[in-house]
Amino acid sequence: MSLDLTVDGDRWREHLRAVADRTPGLVPVVKGNGYGFGLGRLARRAQWLADHRSDAPGSEKTADTLAVGTYEELPEVASRFDGSLLVLTPWRPFGAALEVDPAIASRVVHTVSRPEDLAALLERQPDARYVLELVTSMLRHGMTGRQLRELGGLTSRGTLEGVALHLPLAQGSHLAQVQRLATDMVSAGLPSRTLWVSHLTSDELDRLRSSYGDFEIRPRIGTDLWLGARDALRVTSTVLDVHPVERGDVFGYRSRTAPKAGHLLVVSGGTAHGIGLEAPTGDQSLKARAATLARGGLDAVGFVRSPFSIDGKQRLFAEPPHMQASMLFLPAGARVPEVGDRIDVRVRYTATWFDRVEVV
Amino acid sequence: MSHPSSAPVAVPVTPLAVRVVSAEEHLDFLRSRSSASFLQTPAWGAVKSEWRHESLGWFAPAADGGTGEQMVGAALVLYRQLPKVKRYLAYLPEGPVIDWGDQDLARWLTPLTAHLKRSGAFGVRMGPPVVTRRWSAASVKEGIADAAVRRLDDLVPLERSQEGARVVSQLHELGWVPQAVEGGFAAGQPQYNFHLPLVADGRPRTEEEVLKGMNQLWRRNIKKADKAGVEVVRGTAADLEAFHALYAHTAERDHFTPRPLSYFRTMVEALSAEEPDRIVLHLARHEGDLVAATISIRVGTHVWYSYGASSTEKRDVRGSNAIQWAMIRDALAAGAEVYDMRGITDTLDSEDPHVGLIQFKVGTGGEAVEYAGEWDLPINKAIYKAFDLYMKRRG
Repeated sequence: MSLDLTVDGDRWREHLRAVADRTPGLVPVVKGNGYGFGLGRLARRAQWLADHRSDAPGSEKTADTLAVGTYEELPEVASRFDGSLLVLTPWRPFGAALEVDPAIASRVVHTVSRPEDLAALLERQPDARYVLELVTSMLRHGMTGRQLRELGGLTSRGTLEGVALHLPLAQGSHLAQVQRLATDMVSAGLPSRTLWVSHLTSDELDRLRSSYGDFEIRPRIGTDLWLGARDALRVTSTVLDVHPVERGDVFGYRSRTAPKAGHLLVVSGGTAHGIGLEAPTGDQSLKARAATLARGGLDAVGFVRSPFSIDGKQRLFAEPPHMQASMLFLPAGARVPEVGDRIDVRVRYTATWFDRVEVV
Repeated sequence: MSHPSSAPVAVPVTPLAVRVVSAEEHLDFLRSRSSASFLQTPAWGAVKSEWRHESLGWFAPAADGGTGEQMVGAALVLYRQLPKVKRYLAYLPEGPVIDWGDQDLARWLTPLTAHLKRSGAFGVRMGPPVVTRRWSAASVKEGIADAAVRRLDDLVPLERSQEGARVVSQLHELGWVPQAVEGGFAAGQPQYNFHLPLVADGRPRTEEEVLKGMNQLWRRNIKKADKAGVEVVRGTAADLEAFHALYAHTAERDHFTPRPLSYFRTMVEALSAEEPDRIVLHLARHEGDLVAATISIRVGTHVWYSYGASSTEKRDVRGSNAIQWAMIRDALAAGAEVYDMRGITDTLDSEDPHVGLIQFKVGTGGEAVEYAGEWDLPINKAIYKAFDLYMKRRG
């Protein structure tokens, strides 16, 4: 009795190949919950992409490197993907970064975002492979152009694999910013001309490749790769129980009363899966914020909309979801599904844990 | 951190002072350098007589540690007045002449802008004479032939200069704003230029080597002009009128606005007074007819082909190629390192009318060069904004 992700395998793989083919040098990103698929599955799929590289120019390195979010995620992917492993969280002289399994140390590419960290990393691991992260308008992690220039001879030690940029989600064109950062890179005289970038449209990537034909561009892609073909993905919950109710009937943990006649449905999928929890959508509109508020303030008055839908119609939560299951209210007159029926659920993949992922 | 050997070392920074210097001090400093843009010579201030100008010097404590000081940089500043207001845009065309390789440009630029602010400037515009990219003639030629390549930017450069990038990065950090190449201030200097290098591997090239580097058409045309009996001679101030007549004719044919004869008289007078062969007038004649005329300028090891004119008649005697070749040979004889053919547009689109000019210059076998371009530093933000808006409206 589970929350399931069903993947149309042919359609999904076709999409993955298409993205890889039009993105030479692609670095697949798997991190967090593995975009709903799980880290291990995506690592194997990245290996498959590497094994099926196209012979288009520049594609030799496509998927030769996999990016993970944290050092803790390395063991999950290391045995399923045999190329290089880029860790996106910057290296720090403490924590999990210092506990990398020696067996995979030579495959790991560290992200270094502070001058003092580069010195410390090279002291610990003289042959370390690393990318230098430059600070972007995001102001998350990264060095300034001046800090990069002042690294001096340090960058000739270990193996500098390039410069990494973590760009904000598109707000207008990123190219002016990328050009400035590439200039910072040239100004530092680094022994590498590889630029690791994220969140560029394919048009921006094309223009970047044309202006920087002497650079190697490595686009890091997660969402658009794994989740880009939404029609290949279907998320379903199972109907576990159905109870007819009359107006005024008492039900649920909090002994609410039914506002009118209908059915209560107990369906799989609860807070343990991420159902009913709100991840910020990034949509800043007033309407979206009001919707978030409404869903968060579930208990206040009446019922609120759930992500579950039956016959194409989104249904209301009868009460806040539980760990494994949710309770829905189905007003009188609607078709009542049978126990065991599957119903559709709309989820944010990056914030959902599925019980089963089935590729068919 | 626990790793002192790799921590960035703070270089002791010498404070620099900026103050007004005489034209003589300015010129003496330029003579001590291998070269500088002719737009940064004191004489150029006299040419641009419609603007107030001054010579500035940068001073550092004497290298011997004594109490004296030494001049380490120079600039020609043109003050361009804003309509109706006693505030100025301080313009340093293709300058200033400072150590652009310095990792700490702030120590040069901060005292400069402080001085200019005191002099009533609401903003500064300058054009660091620093190369950021180069492209070979061969790759430019391929680019023109390739329909997918539309601009120089689409071509892999021969070189991406680290020093140039360091200047651009620092200017951004220091709050300077790059000016768009197209449009803008009327006197804006071109960001893309065409250079014919006159040295290779650190030694001067011979005439034969330079000729060999040119394309077949150029070599054939130079020979053709020679056979036809085209003669190129150096002119004097007395020939200016003849030059100007041909130049005005060229302007009419090629649809540009000619400068008046008086402008050239002033230019020749001012620049000649500085160095005897700072500015040279070349005249190409065929059987007594003037078929081409040019003005070249030299500062140290840099020679510019500055103005050119050609007749519409007798194009088949190839006066233009002959006169270029004479200027190049003169430059070689003077020990110059660069023959600078000045601005090109960055278009490589074979449909673009400007592409013909690039093709002519590319035939010499030199290289296309990108400079850092012109940069503004607003001092009084409100006035600068108003000025920027005014310039944009003026188009």
